[in-house]
Amino acid sequence: MRKFIVAVLSASCIVILYFTVSTLVQVFAFDLSTPAVAEEQQKGYRLVLITLEQDTPFWEKVELGAASAAKQNGASLEVWGTYGANRDDFLKNIEIAIASKVDGIIVQGLDTDEFKNLTKIRAASNGIPIITVANDVPMNESLRRTYVGSDHLKAGEMIARQLVSDMGFSGEVVLMVSDRQEFFQRSRLTGILNVLGQYRNIETKIVASGDSRENVAEATNQVLNDAPGAQAFIAVAANHARSIVQEIGKRRQVGNLFIYSFDDSPETLTLLQEGKLDALIMQAPERMGEESVSLMVKWLRGELVPLNPDGYFTEMRVMRAEEAS
Amino acid sequence: MNGIQRKILTMSATVLFIMVAIWVVLTYYNQKTQEQYNDILQRYLRMNEATDRSHQTISALNDYLLKPSSVKLETLKLTQAKLLKAKEGIALLRNVDNAFTLTSYINMIDSLVETSNLSVMFEEQRNPEQSAVRFEETTRIDKYITETTLTLIDKEVRTYDHFYRGIIGQSEKLKQLGMWLLSLITIILLLFTYWFSLSITKPIHRLTLAAKELSRGRFDKQIEIHSNDEISFLAKTFDRMRININNLISEIQQKAQLESELQQSKLLLKESQLRSLQSQINPHFLFNTLDTLSKKAYLDGSEETSDLIASVAGLLRYNLRRLDRAVTLQDELSVMLKYIEIQKARFTDRLHYVQEIDDSCLELKLPCLTLQPIIENAIIHAVEPLEDGGLITFRIRRDGNEAIIQIEDTGDGIDAETVKRIMEDGPQSESQGHSTGIGFSNVVKRLRLFFGKEDVISIHSAIGQGTLVTIKIPFTEVQDDHAQAAASR
Repeated sequence: MRKFIVAVLSASCIVILYFTVSTLVQVFAFDLSTPAVAEEQQKGYRLVLITLEQDTPFWEKVELGAASAAKQNGASLEVWGTYGANRDDFLKNIEIAIASKVDGIIVQGLDTDEFKNLTKIRAASNGIPIITVANDVPMNESLRRTYVGSDHLKAGEMIARQLVSDMGFSGEVVLMVSDRQEFFQRSRLTGILNVLGQYRNIETKIVASGDSRENVAEATNQVLNDAPGAQAFIAVAANHARSIVQEIGKRRQVGNLFIYSFDDSPETLTLLQEGKLDALIMQAPERMGEESVSLMVKWLRGELVPLNPDGYFTEMRVMRAEEAS
Repeated sequence: MNGIQRKILTMSATVLFIMVAIWVVLTYYNQKTQEQYNDILQRYLRMNEATDRSHQTISALNDYLLKPSSVKLETLKLTQAKLLKAKEGIALLRNVDNAFTLTSYINMIDSLVETSNLSVMFEEQRNPEQSAVRFEETTRIDKYITETTLTLIDKEVRTYDHFYRGIIGQSEKLKQLGMWLLSLITIILLLFTYWFSLSITKPIHRLTLAAKELSRGRFDKQIEIHSNDEISFLAKTFDRMRININNLISEIQQKAQLESELQQSKLLLKESQLRSLQSQINPHFLFNTLDTLSKKAYLDGSEETSDLIASVAGLLRYNLRRLDRAVTLQDELSVMLKYIEIQKARFTDRLHYVQEIDDSCLELKLPCLTLQPIIENAIIHAVEPLEDGGLITFRIRRDGNEAIIQIEDTGDGIDAETVKRIMEDGPQSESQGHSTGIGFSNVVKRLRLFFGKEDVISIHSAIGQGTLVTIKIPFTEVQDDHAQAAASR
């Protein structure tokens, strides 16, 4: 009896010992290392990329390119974006960046007075360089160092030439623009008109609308009523393209019309593949990100002073429906 | 320190040590966790402090701008200093994840101080518009600082998320560990205590059993207890006591035996004395008569008769005086020779006596009247009944550490049964015919008692072969002492 009790006690002792040891191991297995405290200020430049439309694929690519370039150059980069194109937040971000005394601001150009005021007076007075990316704002208005992105004037010309080659030398063309009338849109428009103006038989009709879906639909309806004979549509503001196509699709056979747009987003690419769009301008957003960061770093290091005030244009090309499908 | 006490102290110390070790480890761990918590709280507090200071700076600036005075300016400078100090604290919070934001944050604080200073400067230059613009800017920066604080705290939570979860998980596991540890210690202590108490009580139990055995009178069982404390000592002493008692008992038994033997020898002596007394009713008269006879015979010219009578007288005297004393072999030999002489006179040519004696043995002690009865026995059995008489050979020689006395006759011998009876204390009927009244058996017993050993005398005989009696006397001093002691009794 006594032996039995001792045996039972010994057995349970071993079992409990096992559990104790395993729990002990678990207790000390937890990784309780606090995140390393960084030594003083990090080396490399502190750059900020501020965008207006963070959620679009185009800008995601720009961010990607910028991030990889920052990594290569040993600079730290933060991306401050706003969702749904909230301009107040966008401007606030720029102000915060200036107050934070970052080494450089890479920003999506916004053709407004507040933007120009911020860049011209506040940033310049704090000695913070600004590079506009993708969308430009004229240098004399914004005191930006340079511009990195597509040459929108040329893009307009390219799409207009494509239109002429598709449609012929006569017809009615509707240009759908955003009523925000930003600099890049004006450039595109100028480019388109430069080409189309050479053909007397081509009539152009410019329709401006708000950015919301309803506004675009309404404007499209209106123009379909006003100009039932229109043969071609150019969605100068790329994010209007889908609404325009949808609205036209309700009324007329989309295949019979020539519809063009800028910017390759998944949305527009899908439309292109479906044949609803006839062509669009492919830009190089990743290249823009990379280029802007490396130019900023070069300028900060004094390797490339001054930067070309006209800007550094990234490549682009016309993509036609036949290529996409 | 003695064994049991040491054991108890060892046990207490072990228990204490385990407890203290666990307590120290747990306390240490607790302390560490506490410190970590403190660090975390410190971080949050610092961030919050910076925000507070920035708000204070704004309100101080506002105060000043509303109604500029040197006192208010002083207050503003003070809050600005505090803000900058808080900023220094913030700089310590930098880690890989928040480095960018933190730098921005610090720069924002700098910007706030700068713009507030600008605002004050424009106010002093009487430029209220510019001052108001700067003030507005300062307010906005303050707002950004608050927002960035939130961002920082948010980042903090995200960065430390893994760490916080680790702490929570660890404390959870620690609770489990505590439970396991408690049960483990309980069981180990239970086992340890059992073993420990066994090591004390087991020897005691065995000792109890041994004591019980002793009380039942069994002294021959050895007490063996292997233990490293007092119990073992106790058992050893107990065992020694048992051995002593055992020895004492056997000694008492031996003494009792000795006593009875002594009693027996006394009885034998008494008996022989009585017998000799019977034949010595008036010894002095007999001696005197014999002396007179001896002288008379001498005077008559019968020298032979005279000598014979003198021998008889000597023999009688010896017989009477020295019966209870140890005598030398020399004395014994002379008495024996006297006897032989008497017998020669009787048997003339029929008795042939030859002797070989080693003189170095003559000083040995032995009981008196031991040789004469043996010779007499030889004459009675080996000479008297035979017409041609017989030869009696007497030898004393030394063999190593003992003297060997041999009496050999050429008679018909004694049968084995008789020999056995003589040697083993049989009835002493045949002593009747002896001159001194002392028979062979009596001699055998006295010799054995005197020397304290059985093989002191031996008889070799067979029918028709003659008889050889051998007595072996050791040379030892002790034997002499014993002889003296026995003799003086």
